[in-house]
Amino acid sequence: MPTLTIDNQSVTVPAGTNVLEAAKGLGIVIPHFCYHEALGAVGACRLCAMKFEAGPVKGIQMACMVEAKDEMVVSTVDPVAAELRAHVIEWLMMNHPHDCPVCDEGGECQLQDMTIAGGHSIRRFRGPKRTFRNQELGPFVVQEMNRCIQCYRCVRTYQDYCGGDDFGVMGSRDRIFYGRFKEGRLESPFSGNIIDVCPTGVFTDKPFRFKSRYWDLEEAPSICPHCSLGCATIPGGRYRELQRVRSGVNREVNGFFICDRGRFGYGHTNHPERPRTPLLGGREVSWDEALSALRERIAQTVATHGPQSVALLGSPRATLEANELLRRWADELGCRLQFEIHPQRDRAARTLAAGLGDKARSLEEIRNADLLILIGADPLAEGPMLALALRQAVRAGGQVAILDPRPVQLPCAAAHLPLAPEQLIPALQALASGAAAAFPRQQAIVLEGLIRQLTQSQRPVLIGGADLLGEAGMAALLAAADKLSSPERPCGVMGLLAGPNSFGGALLSPPEADADGLLDAIQQKTVKALICLEADPFSDHPDPARAQLALAQLEYLAVLDHLPTLAVRRADLLLPTTAPAEGSGCYVNNEGRLLPFAPAIAPGVPIRETGHGDHPPRSFSRETPGSQPRPAWAVLADLLNTSIDLIALRHQIEQAFPSFAGLAALPLEGEGLRVNGPGIAPATVAAVPAPASTGLRLLATETLFGSELLSALSPPLATVTPAPFVLLHPVEAETLGLSNGLQLRLTTPFGFASVALRLSEEMARGLIIAPRLRGTALENLVPGGGLLTCSLSREEAP
Amino acid sequence: MSDAPQLLFKNRRLGETTFLDGYQKTGGYQGLRKAFKEMTPAEVRETVKVAGLRGRGGAGFSTGLKWSFFPADQPGEKYLVCNGDEMEPGTWKDRELLKADPHQLVEGMIISAYALQAPVAYIFIRYAYEECSRNLEQAIAEAKAAGFLGKNILGSDYSLELHVHRSAGRYILGEETALLNGLEGKRPNPRSKPPFPAQRGLFDKPTTVNNVETIANVPHILSGGAQWYKGLALTDGGAGTKLYGLSGHLEHTPCVELPVGIPLRTLVEQVGGGVRGGRKFKACLPGGASTPFLTADQLDVAMDFDPIAAAGSRLGTGCVTVFDDTTCMVAATLNLNRFFARESCGWCTPCRDGLPMVNWLLEKIERGEGTMDDIAMLKDQQRNISGRSFCALAEGAMGPVESLLRLFMDEIEDHVKLGRCPLRTR
Amino acid sequence: MLPDSILLEFQDRAATIDHPMELVVDLLRAIQEQHGWVPDEGVELAAQILGTSALKVEEIATFYDKIFRQPVGKRVIHLCDSICCWTREAEAILAYLQQKLGIAPGETTADGLFTLLPTCCLGACGEAPAMMIGLTTYGHLTPEKIDAILEQQRAEVAR
Repeated sequence: MPTLTIDNQSVTVPAGTNVLEAAKGLGIVIPHFCYHEALGAVGACRLCAMKFEAGPVKGIQMACMVEAKDEMVVSTVDPVAAELRAHVIEWLMMNHPHDCPVCDEGGECQLQDMTIAGGHSIRRFRGPKRTFRNQELGPFVVQEMNRCIQCYRCVRTYQDYCGGDDFGVMGSRDRIFYGRFKEGRLESPFSGNIIDVCPTGVFTDKPFRFKSRYWDLEEAPSICPHCSLGCATIPGGRYRELQRVRSGVNREVNGFFICDRGRFGYGHTNHPERPRTPLLGGREVSWDEALSALRERIAQTVATHGPQSVALLGSPRATLEANELLRRWADELGCRLQFEIHPQRDRAARTLAAGLGDKARSLEEIRNADLLILIGADPLAEGPMLALALRQAVRAGGQVAILDPRPVQLPCAAAHLPLAPEQLIPALQALASGAAAAFPRQQAIVLEGLIRQLTQSQRPVLIGGADLLGEAGMAALLAAADKLSSPERPCGVMGLLAGPNSFGGALLSPPEADADGLLDAIQQKTVKALICLEADPFSDHPDPARAQLALAQLEYLAVLDHLPTLAVRRADLLLPTTAPAEGSGCYVNNEGRLLPFAPAIAPGVPIRETGHGDHPPRSFSRETPGSQPRPAWAVLADLLNTSIDLIALRHQIEQAFPSFAGLAALPLEGEGLRVNGPGIAPATVAAVPAPASTGLRLLATETLFGSELLSALSPPLATVTPAPFVLLHPVEAETLGLSNGLQLRLTTPFGFASVALRLSEEMARGLIIAPRLRGTALENLVPGGGLLTCSLSREEAP
Repeated sequence: MSDAPQLLFKNRRLGETTFLDGYQKTGGYQGLRKAFKEMTPAEVRETVKVAGLRGRGGAGFSTGLKWSFFPADQPGEKYLVCNGDEMEPGTWKDRELLKADPHQLVEGMIISAYALQAPVAYIFIRYAYEECSRNLEQAIAEAKAAGFLGKNILGSDYSLELHVHRSAGRYILGEETALLNGLEGKRPNPRSKPPFPAQRGLFDKPTTVNNVETIANVPHILSGGAQWYKGLALTDGGAGTKLYGLSGHLEHTPCVELPVGIPLRTLVEQVGGGVRGGRKFKACLPGGASTPFLTADQLDVAMDFDPIAAAGSRLGTGCVTVFDDTTCMVAATLNLNRFFARESCGWCTPCRDGLPMVNWLLEKIERGEGTMDDIAMLKDQQRNISGRSFCALAEGAMGPVESLLRLFMDEIEDHVKLGRCPLRTR
Repeated sequence: MLPDSILLEFQDRAATIDHPMELVVDLLRAIQEQHGWVPDEGVELAAQILGTSALKVEEIATFYDKIFRQPVGKRVIHLCDSICCWTREAEAILAYLQQKLGIAPGETTADGLFTLLPTCCLGACGEAPAMMIGLTTYGHLTPEKIDAILEQQRAEVAR
């Protein structure tokens, strides 16, 4: 650990740290542009010039390019270095347009900050500025190339870090241009990150354009709710509208970046049909009236029919605190409690939470792994930032293999073996036992290769997705990792779950909880009243027909939510809750990491909507329109007749569950904290045998855009959500006489859909793969429920 | 000068190219035979080191020392790359070599690759030297057929693949790490050093990059011996002969081979026939566009690396461009700086943006619109560009600028005081 | 875009060598040799052969000044504007060429025959002033010599 002196202050840093980072440790910000912790040091901008006065290196050097060594003496205030830095700023400002008044970057612009800090003000250069014609880059990113200072961060992010190849750097000298070969949408699912890394206003957030000045935004550290990875985000809002999301920093999870789904999926918060007022039988009522009505109804139901006539349904997207209060209420009532209505997702999550323990691996550990085997996991669909973490592992020399029936794409090289869904568990067992002989020869060769790689690897991780693996597969995943682990060479596991708090719900779940049992009880009218916490059992059960049939038997449905779901529409009592960016809470990500977040904005109808074009609005109220939503945990605390604040609640949770030790003291913007101990495995239930089927079977899958509930309600993502399609292997297509691009009729047990046919050689045979696309005819194909019978036929001529 | 030893230009005849027959008649491939039959690779390296050969591409780094950094004994992929991207304004010596005598370079490459135990070698040729590329390809085919190149050369267990790689323009490709990027098919920005090419070069493997003229000396060092080669120079520190190109305001502008250390005056007055039209010598670039100007007081400097460095400039490529007394030095520097600015790769700020700033100032001054503040600003620019850029291109650009400010301040100030270029009478 | 034999050759080489991108400059030059310049389709073809994206090829093509991504005349005249040629009347030669051809640097004659471009040092400093047409360098330029060279070029194109 070298010790060096910077500006007469001593600092000791880990070996390999550069001097710029070492200075940061002393609170000294060395001016820089091209350096970025995630992108590395390249020495292009020359702004971080410092004077090295003594030690192994001397003279004017770029601080980011010099490794800190013992006895180095560095001055950041040396006049020669300061003069150089002033010149660098002046050079960069030669061509910079006077765009600040019209540039979105203002206020969070590194160029502004460094320019002012460097003392630059008057332009001395009076020559012509170089200018560019901008390109249309799609719905997410605006380009304004005249502002560019050629730090190369965008291309290093887009190509090197994120693996894109449709955006890059062209030209030479002072006519360097960053863009695409031809105008068009940026193809990488991580394209929005160039907005964050650009130190000036070349690449800005298109949906956010011209909406707010940075200093007018209300921001808070938050956690992305759009998958189970728990990336750090910073939502920003103004005038009651959530206007944008930018990346937060969590070096253990997402690092410095987020995916485009997380960046642009926030529109649900502003959705015009979002529930905002308590409704009793469709009638707007006050909170007090709503809550009393609910208490009364529940009390009455319990009194008449006993505690088992009531059921409480929690959610993988509700906060830990809300779910915990729901659990407490169930305890008090003595009634049924379920945290996830999707039986397979529920049991898989609980199996993972029970068995993960020390095998848990963070995304940072995955970035540093040397062998990653994905079994039934599709990162870009089920946890996009995992795909980016896999890429970093490959960049560092690691290898990735995919065993999956779907044509899983990754932004890095990976070996893909298309196995059928029912082969995934045997494959896991083969990897664990070292014997793949039961597989057909070609597949056995690949598996044997993986087995060999496993023995040679130092930091292997097995990654499985709950939807394709289910409970049994998740158990097999954990068992395989156990078998492959030794004290010297442990094998890690990451499981991909459905929601941001699936793991949290799994930890709180009582061992006898059984989603199918609950539906049965509802169907049989044993359960007469159901209260849903931010859950929609009508839409999120893999057999929606069965679910809806059962739920129709309910006498009473009460729903707490912030989304316009089917359950919300059918609710007898509706209690509007806050959206993630409006509330405080904690999620437990798929690694078991406790991640707290704070509210960025208070709920309310965005100001631009209240007038509906009228000026002024004609109805007056003391309350801010649309401000009635309350945090779910606060609503439940009310229902339980406890007045409690969040911190006190967290303390109570810590006491009740040793696993959550440290929860109350967790700081925002930190790295979170892994739960201290496993959950309880679900009690065994009789497995439902899969129906025998001939012919093609349908595998429903998540997709990057269009499947996840919250982001499917976000207008910026509407343009990139695909129209309904299905995937078929070319061999099957030929047998059926179908060709790529045909519009076909898909028939499933849940109805018909018009779909475009796409052929893919990279998928397993005998399957039709269909994405769940909410708001389309493919809405009802909920992943994780096993394979469906289906057929494809040509559309009838109109 | 007709008695000056001719090594590199031994086979040069006006309008002709010497191929295998002619090359062998004058002793060609003897150096190679000696290396393969009588010497180990280490001995070849040692011979080149003792001979004192210094790089002829402009930097003048000791070839023996550069070779000593290369892990010759390490097995696996290793590369020797010949830098034939001669684009330094004023320089055409490598073109002359390759037009006249391609086998000389081929032999030099084979011997050098053998010394370094590199199994693959490239000759990187600039776009404009198509004739040279074709000459080399023909020579390579001849050498292969004659057993001097390819598998198990002369019955040894050493094999060499030698490729010609053509470029597509841009001066920065002459910088060795940018050249390697260009060879790999990447954007030819330079790389940061360390790591040096000897550790991580072409495709991240150990690589040595040497200039055409440097490699062309190797057969002669081997066949004549290191001491003999060293003794050819006129200075104590020098070694061998050098190709000197003469251009600019001279009566004659040939490219000649003379011993290292020949006085600049000899080149200007004897070889170049003096300043053309009987005019006076005002200044010269002693070794290409990126060398500081020398003035008449320095005409007696020996054309060798250390003496010219002591005189405040660099030997560079050894190709001299002379300016007579009708030349406006501001205009000359502007021409030079415009070249560098246009050829910047665009990677780092001082070069990409600093050189255009210098252009703007020089243009302003040359137009007669400059101020004393502009001159001060020009000084600041030069001070903050020199030694601050990512590679040596901007450093080279500041050679003429720094020497303009040092040697011709009066002329610059006259532009300001007169409100016009003092050398224009209108 | 490329004659079949050359296309096949590049495809073979791209399939066999360790680093296909090593061929990108050769490939762009071959396309330019055939087509006179490199159009978008040329970039796309090169990308296909090398197994990369059009953008990655464009990054290379737009760096080099001798790869033309815009149409050029049948003959491209590269006139040196570096220091040695500058000392030997290159500015006057440029003026003469502009006047003779009726175009400014960067432009192409109306008959599509000649494009006039500045170039950096051609390595013909002993024969300054110099220009390169295609890949042939001409030195010791005078207006008369230029007239003769241009006539010769015209005749060649006509054949």
